[in-house]
Amino acid sequence: MSEVLADLPFCACIAAGYLDVLLVLTVCALLLAGFPAAFTLAGTALLFALIGWSMGVFELSYLIPYPQRIFGATTNQVLIAVPLFIFMGVVLERAKIAEELLDEMAKLFGSLQGGLGVSVIVVGALLAASTGIVGATVVTMGLLSLPVMLKRGYDPALATGSIAAAGTLGQIIPPSIVIILLGDVISNAYQKAQLSRGVFAPETVTVGDLFAGALVPGLLLVALYIAYVMGTALLRPASAPCIPAAEIGDRREAFRSALKTLPAPLILIVAVLGSILGGVATPTEAAAVGAVGALFLAGHRTAAGPSKTLIRIGAAALIATLAAGALAGPQGATGGLALAAGAGTLVALAGLGASIFCLLRTSALSEVTEQTLRTTTMVFAILIGAALFSLVFRGLGGDARVEHLLAAVPGGPAGALLAVMAVMFVLGFFLDFIEITLVVVPLVAAPLLAQGVDPVWLGVMMAVNLQTSFLTPPFGFALFYLRGVAPESVKTTDIYRGALPFVAVQIMMLGLLALFPALATWAR
Amino acid sequence: MLDPAGHALNLAAALIFALYAAPLARLAGLAPGLSSRLAGAISSVNTVVGRTVKWFALAMVLVQAGVVLLRYVFNISLLWMQEIIVYLHGGLFLLAAGYVLHVGAHVRVDVFRRVMSEKTKALVDLLGAYLLLAPVCAAILIAAGPYVAQSWAVREGSAEGSGLGLIYLLKTFIPLFAALVALQGVALADRSVAVLRGEDEVAA
Repeated sequence: MSEVLADLPFCACIAAGYLDVLLVLTVCALLLAGFPAAFTLAGTALLFALIGWSMGVFELSYLIPYPQRIFGATTNQVLIAVPLFIFMGVVLERAKIAEELLDEMAKLFGSLQGGLGVSVIVVGALLAASTGIVGATVVTMGLLSLPVMLKRGYDPALATGSIAAAGTLGQIIPPSIVIILLGDVISNAYQKAQLSRGVFAPETVTVGDLFAGALVPGLLLVALYIAYVMGTALLRPASAPCIPAAEIGDRREAFRSALKTLPAPLILIVAVLGSILGGVATPTEAAAVGAVGALFLAGHRTAAGPSKTLIRIGAAALIATLAAGALAGPQGATGGLALAAGAGTLVALAGLGASIFCLLRTSALSEVTEQTLRTTTMVFAILIGAALFSLVFRGLGGDARVEHLLAAVPGGPAGALLAVMAVMFVLGFFLDFIEITLVVVPLVAAPLLAQGVDPVWLGVMMAVNLQTSFLTPPFGFALFYLRGVAPESVKTTDIYRGALPFVAVQIMMLGLLALFPALATWAR
Repeated sequence: MLDPAGHALNLAAALIFALYAAPLARLAGLAPGLSSRLAGAISSVNTVVGRTVKWFALAMVLVQAGVVLLRYVFNISLLWMQEIIVYLHGGLFLLAAGYVLHVGAHVRVDVFRRVMSEKTKALVDLLGAYLLLAPVCAAILIAAGPYVAQSWAVREGSAEGSGLGLIYLLKTFIPLFAALVALQGVALADRSVAVLRGEDEVAA
């Protein structure tokens, strides 16, 4: 006993030099206990700050900027896009547009081999583009399409695999919330990396750049998923049977009703994305207009009679007014055009008012704001927790250690990148994309970028990598979500077996990105 | 040297953390009604706050869309409109954090949690409330004291003259965030104690 006590100061002395490492290990262990992640991150960091301070290896003055960091989260223009995009996504989700789309796509393509599987992936991609929240997409798709696919005699593995894979598309296909967060983190790291190399007029990288970078890989993934489902259906027809034509009814009828449902949400998504990618609007501006568009769409679906007409006219007036603005150019509308635009604005306001009124009456809007509040607060609480973690980690010398470690990995930038990717892949088994983006990426991005790695390419690689992690059995997040909503008759091993081919597709995509970085960097 | 605002903050913080004694007392079998009533009162305060600020989300959408329309169509930029969005955004997540804790919507790593018994979960929540959540809120209150007090002392306004000039109010959301979360932590602790003592039907 006495020897142990005598050794304590010595142990403590060694521990003092490795407090940053101990902090990371402790945070990982405590996170697994399941207390809300935001407070676990901040609380553990605070504990280590106090331990370090009592050992004389940490200055409490490192914590002074903390309130300023929290304040920064409120004034950051890029982050304001997050609640706006969440709002838009929740409105579209509550408007049950996905349900209707899936129904109509199934009628359109159901009679083809594997048609139902392809519908699931296409709708998943659309849903991903509109909401960008993984859990929500997997759960929605699982509840909607899994029972239908199983009833039609689909192989449970193929059915669950395509649903899980389609659900994870939400993080890669813009405008995804995580790409906005990733864009903010990477752009800060890029500034830092260039300053550290003595570049005092640094280049910038924006969220729009990252959206553009993620677009092609995202769409390629959709194409590869579809190819896999169709290939399986061709080779093993029994695994993906077609719906008998008699049950589908009139194809032309289905086509006509699809023509009525599909265009509006599709145009909305394309317009939002297009205005960001084209550099016309910032993500924040596009998100707000997109959210208003979603309100029009949802209002139009709930309304009946004259208010439905009013909403339709209002939406047309809004589009016309925005078009007038585009016509007028940067000086703004003048003269007659300004008068017309003013009148258009008033009509649009009337339509929007009618939409909001209809949605308030069915209490749909109350549910939308509630869900937006919960998701937004959850994201920003982690941001606040991660800010304290990174202040303490830096104060304990962790930044310098990560930098040295990454420099010591053999193989130069490629080796360091590979090491980071492997660590992130494993972390993806038990941490959420948001946590990894806000805690891990700030630590590793600056050293990697300082070694000359392209920021957009790095961001897209990270996004695809984490998406793969979420699909990988046995720990993948998407698989857990799906297990939660799948009927008992589907075995967990079916879900695992179904996910594996899609994991292979993901790895292929990572390989393609590594070989052809231009897939991500074409727009720069 | 502390000005009145700093003193008020410290006093409020001391009061909040004194409340953390109630669930402990209940754990020891003392005055369970007090702790439970306290938890109920705190939860209803945060619920009122949450149900109010959730409409900030809709307001943000409408004001931001208005900014876009004015700027792109009429070439009018109004700084105060931009600032309203920032205030709504900050108010949304800073003021609602306590409510979101109440409804259990803060994300947890649930790899192990999903196989834990109700009592183990309650134990994690109880320890987390005292060892992680409360200290963090205390640290934010202490660190934000001088930061916010300084902003109040000069009535810190906007960088540009035409703004709303209420930056000091926005900064006040930071200690409010810590206070509301710390309060909800008391309720979380009480609920956990109730489960641990097998009295959770009272809380339900």
